Amino acid sequence: MWNNAYNLESTREGMVEQDSMVPVAAIVCFLLGVTTLILLNRSKDRMWMDRMTGLMLGWCLVFFGLRYAAAAVRDAKVVGGIVNSIPNLDIFQYLFYSFTIAAIVIGAMFPFVYPYPIFQKASSIKLVTPIIFGVSLVIIISMMLTEYHYVWFSHILFLPGYFILLLVYFRFISEEMLDDDNTARRMSLASGIVLIAFFGQQMTWWLAQIISINDEFVGRFAIESGVGDYSYVPNWIGYTIMNSVAAISILALTAGETWRATKKGINGFTVIIYMILGVGLISGIADYAILGIVDSCMYTVCEDFPKSYDIWYNFTTDALVLLFTPLMVMYLLLHFDVIDSAAENNQWMTRIIVILMLLIVSSTMIELLQSILPVSDMISSAILAMVVAIFIGWEERIMKALIAEGESISKKLQALNELNEPEIQDSDLELFSKSMAVLTGFIFILCILYSSIV
Amino acid sequence: MSSNEGNMKNVLSNLTSNREGNRFALISFIATLILISYTGYDTVVLRTGIISEFADDNDYLITFTTLNETMQEVVTLQDDETRNLQFDLSEISIPDGYSIGYIDVSVTSEEESGISGQCDSVAGDIIMNDLRAQWSDPGNNLSGQDSSCIPIELDLAIYPNFNGESITVSAINEYQALQNWSEEGWGEGSLSIDLDLDVNAPFGIDPGGFDSDEEITVDVYITLFTVSIQEIE
Repeated sequence: MWNNAYNLESTREGMVEQDSMVPVAAIVCFLLGVTTLILLNRSKDRMWMDRMTGLMLGWCLVFFGLRYAAAAVRDAKVVGGIVNSIPNLDIFQYLFYSFTIAAIVIGAMFPFVYPYPIFQKASSIKLVTPIIFGVSLVIIISMMLTEYHYVWFSHILFLPGYFILLLVYFRFISEEMLDDDNTARRMSLASGIVLIAFFGQQMTWWLAQIISINDEFVGRFAIESGVGDYSYVPNWIGYTIMNSVAAISILALTAGETWRATKKGINGFTVIIYMILGVGLISGIADYAILGIVDSCMYTVCEDFPKSYDIWYNFTTDALVLLFTPLMVMYLLLHFDVIDSAAENNQWMTRIIVILMLLIVSSTMIELLQSILPVSDMISSAILAMVVAIFIGWEERIMKALIAEGESISKKLQALNELNEPEIQDSDLELFSKSMAVLTGFIFILCILYSSIV
Repeated sequence: MSSNEGNMKNVLSNLTSNREGNRFALISFIATLILISYTGYDTVVLRTGIISEFADDNDYLITFTTLNETMQEVVTLQDDETRNLQFDLSEISIPDGYSIGYIDVSVTSEEESGISGQCDSVAGDIIMNDLRAQWSDPGNNLSGQDSSCIPIELDLAIYPNFNGESITVSAINEYQALQNWSEEGWGEGSLSIDLDLDVNAPFGIDPGGFDSDEEITVDVYITLFTVSIQEIE
């Protein structure tokens, strides 16, 4: 576990395959974020809730893209020549942290808007933008001034959202099961997807968290990295809360989906939940098996993890967080009609982006496979060609599956008479994009200045 | 109950309107609190304590206990002869926990200068081979020559950085402090020494050719060491 180089900030590292995934994740996230914002701009007929959701997800993806881009440059191999040509590498570390914080703040606010908006009054909706902008800026500056010693304490911001999402999930899955309300499924599905998008990575460590061995891994990385920020208790609190919340989330989702599967049968989401559960189970056993290696740092010298262990995490936790989370966000945007993907002028762009995303992820997975299996370039090229052919051949079917079944969350809430429709001007929503653009500019300027001063 | 007024109170009331859903959510929240409690104790209390011990390196005093092993060979060389001697270091008995630190070689010729004041010219060289040693250590003395009947002293460092003096090391634990002193394999192989003799006759005159050889004794002193460690408070 804890191959969380992009959360624990490169404490556990060194895997070439993962290194190669980070730039891919940067491209995927950035591309998807920008496309979302463009498509959203063409979907002005959507309700305030959908538009706000699209804006938040779009900018969150843009920030994640910039975050991964900063991490990719930061982690670039010196022999590659890139790092040597950059006078002050620290700027990328600052950018990485700053965009991470901005994404965390948007993520923390997200459950207050979607799938069940807690903020429904015009005044409170209008507050979302200044809150995200202000809180992001305050945390970014305070963390910068404290040299990011407490940066992972910011994980506690996810706690309120976690409670909201679980409430939404259980309310609507109960309504679906007990009241036989099939339309309730879209609500529980959306909240489940958001939970995975937020905590997917940590969900794969659920068993390790329950048997409480994650702290031993953190201890190892602390010693490996010279203790440093690990001596700051707030960071430990942040880790604990994030991992605990993720562990309970996956168990709660498993319970809910199992309940549903007994009556309604298994669907794609149920399979995903069971897969994450299974990955967490195997990972927990693997983590327990290598505790001797983990503890070696404390008693002898830090022994390397077995190669097979690294490969396992490459294909599970890392692939999940770096490649599949953006895809899940894309699914959320398209399937729940957040953006008007059915409109004629949006369809071509949606199609291109869907195929592009799937191809990028497929080719990356093939590359990963090639790095561990003795597969020649000829064969991997052939496999990629097959994947391309499948995507092109099934393009229409894939799109239909994503769009035609689109079920708007806002329409469901309207039907329940639980969604307020206040007067929200276009300019109020556009302020969000403007604020985030200004925040991005602030972050760049602050990081350039601060890295040159310190 | 449902309402679309958008008041926070109404929204929360709607959100929690399903009793079964609330029950499941409540169970999840309690489970979350329990999990955060005990993993938090492990992480924040126990692990922080352990980690804090590693926040700063500790200082350790490393001292060496040495003992010596000797190998000897006596050979008679003819004038202008060069001979190679091999000392197989695996023949010495090395106690458990000991390593070879360095090797001193003494090359002594039998002849004494006496009244003629003329000694044979003897040269000794340690030949670089596959013996695992510090061949480029600046303290090495791999070649020597003498024609004044004084023993030739040669030195070869075997274990990296060992000179017998106590040292202070900073490390996070004893194991890591001793890591540089627990390497194996140093001293494996044979010590190869070339001897070279050039006979010098008394007063430069030896018409009968009676002084045409020389008995040379090669003593190899092998210094073994073991380490002991003590944390400096």
